[in-house]
Amino acid sequence: MSSDDEDFVFYGTPIEREDEITTRKKKAISGASGQLRTVLPPWKQEVTDEEGRRRFHGAFTGGFSAGYYNSVGSKEGWTPQSFTSSRKSRAEVKQQSIYNFLDEDEKAEFEGRSLGTSMQFDTFGFTAAELARKQAEKEQQKGFVFLSNLFTISSSFAGSMPSTIPGPVPDELIVPATESIGVKLLLKMGWRQGRSIKDSNRNSLSDARRQARKAFLALSDNVGRDIAHSKLDEEDTGNVPDLPADDDNQLSKSMPEINLCYFVLERKRLKMSGKREMEGCSSLSIKGKIGPGFGIGALEDLDAEDEDVYDSGYDFQDTYVQEIEEPSRTSTDTLRILDAKKHDVLPGFKVASHSDRILDRRDRFDPPEIPKDFVPHHKFLAPLGNEGERAETPPAEVPAPEDNNLKVLIEGVAALVARCGKLFEDLSKEKNQSNPLFDFLRGGNGSDFYARKLWEERQKHGEQTKLWEGKKPQNSEQLTAERRGKILGEKALERSSRDSSSFIASASSVNVNLNFQIHSLNLHQLMSNRILENLLMMTLESKKRFEQFLKEKYEGGLRTKDSGGSSNMSEAARARERLEFEAAAEAIQKGNSGKERKATSQLLSDLSATAALQFTTGGVEIGKVPQDDELITKAMYPRREEFQWRPAPILCKRFDLIDPYMGKPPPAPRVRSKMDSLIFMPDSIKTAIVEDHVSMEHKSSLVPQMDKGKIGQEATENEVQNEVEVENVGRPVDLYKAIFSDDSDDEENTTSDQVEDTQKKIEAANTTLNRLIAGDFLESLGKELGLMVPPEMPLPENKGVQKEKVNVDKGNSDSLSTEIMSATRNVVGSSTNGGITKKTDMRVDGIEERYMNTHKTRNNSSSEDERSRKQSRSHRRKSSSSDSDTSNDSKDYRDRHRSKSRRKDKGSSREKSSSRRHSKHRKHRRKDSPSRSHHSSGKEHEYRKRKKSAQMKLYCLVLTVFRLMLCSVSVFHLHGRNPSSLSGCLWLVRRWWLMLFLDKILGRYFEFEFNTTDCFLFSLDSLKFSLYSLVTFFLEPSLPGTDAFLRCKQSTDRFSSSSSSF
Amino acid sequence: MSSANLPRTEASVLRGHEGAVLAARFNANGEYCLSCGKDRTIRLWNPHRGLHIKTYKSHGREVRDVHVTPDNSKLCSCGGDRQVFYWDVATGRVIRKFRGHDSEVNAVKFNDYASVVVSAGYDRSLRAWDCRSHSTEPIQIIDTFSDSVMSVCLSKTEIIAGSVDGTVRTFDIRIGREISDNLGQPVNCISLSNDGNCVLASCLDSTLRLLDRSSGELLQEYKGHTCKSFKMDCCLTNTDAHVTGGSEDGYIYFWDLVDAQVVSSFRAHSSVVTSVSYHPKDDCMITASVDGTIRVWKP
Repeated sequence: MSSDDEDFVFYGTPIEREDEITTRKKKAISGASGQLRTVLPPWKQEVTDEEGRRRFHGAFTGGFSAGYYNSVGSKEGWTPQSFTSSRKSRAEVKQQSIYNFLDEDEKAEFEGRSLGTSMQFDTFGFTAAELARKQAEKEQQKGFVFLSNLFTISSSFAGSMPSTIPGPVPDELIVPATESIGVKLLLKMGWRQGRSIKDSNRNSLSDARRQARKAFLALSDNVGRDIAHSKLDEEDTGNVPDLPADDDNQLSKSMPEINLCYFVLERKRLKMSGKREMEGCSSLSIKGKIGPGFGIGALEDLDAEDEDVYDSGYDFQDTYVQEIEEPSRTSTDTLRILDAKKHDVLPGFKVASHSDRILDRRDRFDPPEIPKDFVPHHKFLAPLGNEGERAETPPAEVPAPEDNNLKVLIEGVAALVARCGKLFEDLSKEKNQSNPLFDFLRGGNGSDFYARKLWEERQKHGEQTKLWEGKKPQNSEQLTAERRGKILGEKALERSSRDSSSFIASASSVNVNLNFQIHSLNLHQLMSNRILENLLMMTLESKKRFEQFLKEKYEGGLRTKDSGGSSNMSEAARARERLEFEAAAEAIQKGNSGKERKATSQLLSDLSATAALQFTTGGVEIGKVPQDDELITKAMYPRREEFQWRPAPILCKRFDLIDPYMGKPPPAPRVRSKMDSLIFMPDSIKTAIVEDHVSMEHKSSLVPQMDKGKIGQEATENEVQNEVEVENVGRPVDLYKAIFSDDSDDEENTTSDQVEDTQKKIEAANTTLNRLIAGDFLESLGKELGLMVPPEMPLPENKGVQKEKVNVDKGNSDSLSTEIMSATRNVVGSSTNGGITKKTDMRVDGIEERYMNTHKTRNNSSSEDERSRKQSRSHRRKSSSSDSDTSNDSKDYRDRHRSKSRRKDKGSSREKSSSRRHSKHRKHRRKDSPSRSHHSSGKEHEYRKRKKSAQMKLYCLVLTVFRLMLCSVSVFHLHGRNPSSLSGCLWLVRRWWLMLFLDKILGRYFEFEFNTTDCFLFSLDSLKFSLYSLVTFFLEPSLPGTDAFLRCKQSTDRFSSSSSSF
Repeated sequence: MSSANLPRTEASVLRGHEGAVLAARFNANGEYCLSCGKDRTIRLWNPHRGLHIKTYKSHGREVRDVHVTPDNSKLCSCGGDRQVFYWDVATGRVIRKFRGHDSEVNAVKFNDYASVVVSAGYDRSLRAWDCRSHSTEPIQIIDTFSDSVMSVCLSKTEIIAGSVDGTVRTFDIRIGREISDNLGQPVNCISLSNDGNCVLASCLDSTLRLLDRSSGELLQEYKGHTCKSFKMDCCLTNTDAHVTGGSEDGYIYFWDLVDAQVVSSFRAHSSVVTSVSYHPKDDCMITASVDGTIRVWKP
């Protein structure tokens, strides 16, 4: 190694990887141990995670590293928790806390702030307290100023502290914490057990400030020191021990950044204490060559004030020129201002000392002038009778008058007055002016006794009547309405002083008088009535409202909308009050109702009446007026409304009732299907829904019964779909009628005498059959063969064409061009689909047919049109055979086509088993040309795809065989017989004859064709069915007896469907 | 007159329910009674002998109401599990469960022919269920209410239901009309008079209101009890002479039908009286309470 080293010459400086790593480790260790690293310039600092790894790499060396190997925070990563819960072991509800979502560093940050219970915290734990005290003492002995702990503990600074042990703190000094860090901190900040935290905190804060100031002074010159000292003196509490002088020196020697801390701290303080200090200090700070923008000291709390530490809140440049003397001057100025203002300031208040507040006056209003004689101490106006009275000297004890009645009366009135207020006294005084018994009210006989009694009563009821009595007019300082009126020179309302009220009041007073004379009843007991108590507890204004309430209630009159309740009451409060009033009124009423019987209740009512009389007329009529309030609610409720309601028919049935809506259309016609809306819609709208219609029809076409029903329905126009259904179920006879009844002659079946149909019926039959052929046959056969029958989904483009076509048909328009266009488009579509000319040929064929269809549709009767409107797409796309039957004008096309197809058929029969491919093609041809040109194009496509499958081949083969076989059947069966016998065949069919017959044929053909094939796997029944279907579209309609055979097919259809249930 | 015959003395206490009993009902002839409660059971009792006959357990939540057919062969019940159960009384098995209510079912009743169950739900709907067919779909849903339907009564031709929206609605099947009587206060329970001319509605303002069914007129109000927050029953006595109902403080109140005065009130239970049912013929009454007991009262 060494020899190698000697041989090489090194250029440049080697990359010291090892070194770097070690330094990093060191740094990490030092960071972990909580020591502050020496402050590096930012470009040299590097961020590490807790394991000392570098967090940020260069963009090309790994970028940002985080979490668990740069993935997520844990080994398992984001693996979701699997939820398992069973009856036995329920999934425990997980209490999520914010800690579940925090990273480590965030947690650490968060924990510092969060409050939590500490296990080590023992409030009354003596040991911990003792330990803390000991430790505190120890630390004090060591001379550990809390500063050293509070400031960011830089090692150098700590070293500069006068600690006994230089260097790192030995282990034996580090005692495991027995109390929380908060307590520790407090202890170190000077807090001792048993002292309140707040004070010590403040002390400690001021301590810190003092320390800071001293450190600051160490930096600053003498002037600064003066100012600082003056400041210190200003706010010194006096009990702060000065640090030794050498401390200052040491501080001055210490690192400048600490002084920065001091400075910021100082500035913060200055900001708080105003402009004067700020100026002084800022001038000083310039001397320290410290501008704004330095860091926040460790002592500073994160306050709102600190947010603008980096803000140039103070214009240092401006203050720079200011003289040193200026601060003192300004301070005196402000002081003078303060002094000047002093007389304006209320005791207990301070003039805002904030400079901006003081100076910025233009958008502030001057404080209101304080009256000279204003005493800033709030004196509670003695609101309570007893309180007010207490101040007064109680009237002297007076012996009771000799007259017992008078005594009772005086007592009673005193109690009443104590309860009800001074007004009662006034009132009774007024009312009983002539009554010698009431002389005591006017200072006559027994007045002093009355005064005494009144005082006593008030003393007694002071507490009880506190709430409302407080506003009673005993207090001279308070105004009643009456008093205010007097002051303002208002005249009292006439009514209240006159008519009923005076009468009532006097009456009640008399009553009271009488009652007092008759029964020396204890008023307290009477008053203990709860409602009345409540009444008496009412506040003044509620009393007023109650009075109004009573008035309105019993005297009638116009009601204002919000008669009861002041405007500032909430709705609920109003309602509650109203209820209370009601209850009170009721109580009063009750009392009145029992007047004759019970004098006590009489008294009660009178009392309440008089209670109310303070402000209003009471109610002699109480209870006599009907309670219109309740009447109103009664008028409102119950409210009856009637609606129409339609019970379900079944409900009526179950309740054994006749459905009231039986036979009527539903009240809210729910659209059962789009058919309904379609039928009653104008043509223009119809076209939009045609497609749905068509699809629906198509769906329904799968149900053979329905189709048959439709055949029977041909004559009727515009029938409703559901009607059709109903009749389907109801009238199977129509089928036969449709087939057999009409005897109008056919040009082709002249010989037949009974089995002749109209064109329409034949058409209908044909279309039905075609549909059956197209859909059911293929489907059933395919199913039987285990093939997947492609869904009846036309190709999109074809569908579009169809739609268009349908539209044409529906609209009864003869836009042939559109049709042709669509047909050609169809050709294009199919050719693009298949790309085979053969197929295109076929397509053209199909289009031809369709063209003929439309042609025919156009030319034929409107019934045909109606039919086509009603029937589905597949209806329309009839087989060529049926078309040729009906449309005369398109005969030539038809013939041509027929001949072509027949020729092909013949060809196929000739070379039936030789060319399988050809036969398959023919099969398609066959399938396509009659009915399903569009559908099968899609299907064909699919078939083509699967033609390699053996099943498919078999399928095709079977089809071919069937066709050939049916050819012969048709020949054999139709040519050899006349239609009349064919019609008799129906009976055979219905009795399994034809079935058996066909079975025989089938069996023969199968024997002939494939002896050992799998064909027998599928049931003969389905074969038969498909056979019928094949027969119908295989046979050319021109053949004699076709119609009859078709009819035969019809019935066999029915038959087969019924036979399946055998 | 008959106030002397009011059932005021306790004949027996039927204990067995664990937790609150939410409803207690006499059967059609008053021989038996059914109760249901928070313990998810329905119990069949002979109240006159104080016997517990059978317990029907299948409900998943509290059972709020139960009704029995006039021939005592079938039960229907409903509750917090949103289903209406159709029970066979003898075997104690559930014949059918009618699901469809979107929330708790408050009340349930058979019609006279026991062919239809009508249930009233918190989902603001009434639903009629067919017992004859095997369909578990409701044959009719009435959802004209604007709040929870609390109670339902059936007459021969009508469905009457009271709702928290303050209405008592009568659905006349015969004429296909819905008559809504708005009382202005949430209706807790409704009860038909025995002559069928009046309907008694218990409102949540602690008032029972008697309505004339033909005119919708408020005939009388009965006050004195407390009914502010619980679903509590009320009914008329078998002679229609008195109105009775429970109170939230455990009292039973009897009012005179005509002058609405409290004829009698006594403390029957230690807690809220949830249900009262009056014997169809005799002077006998059963009351059920949150305290878990059913008490039989006789004169």
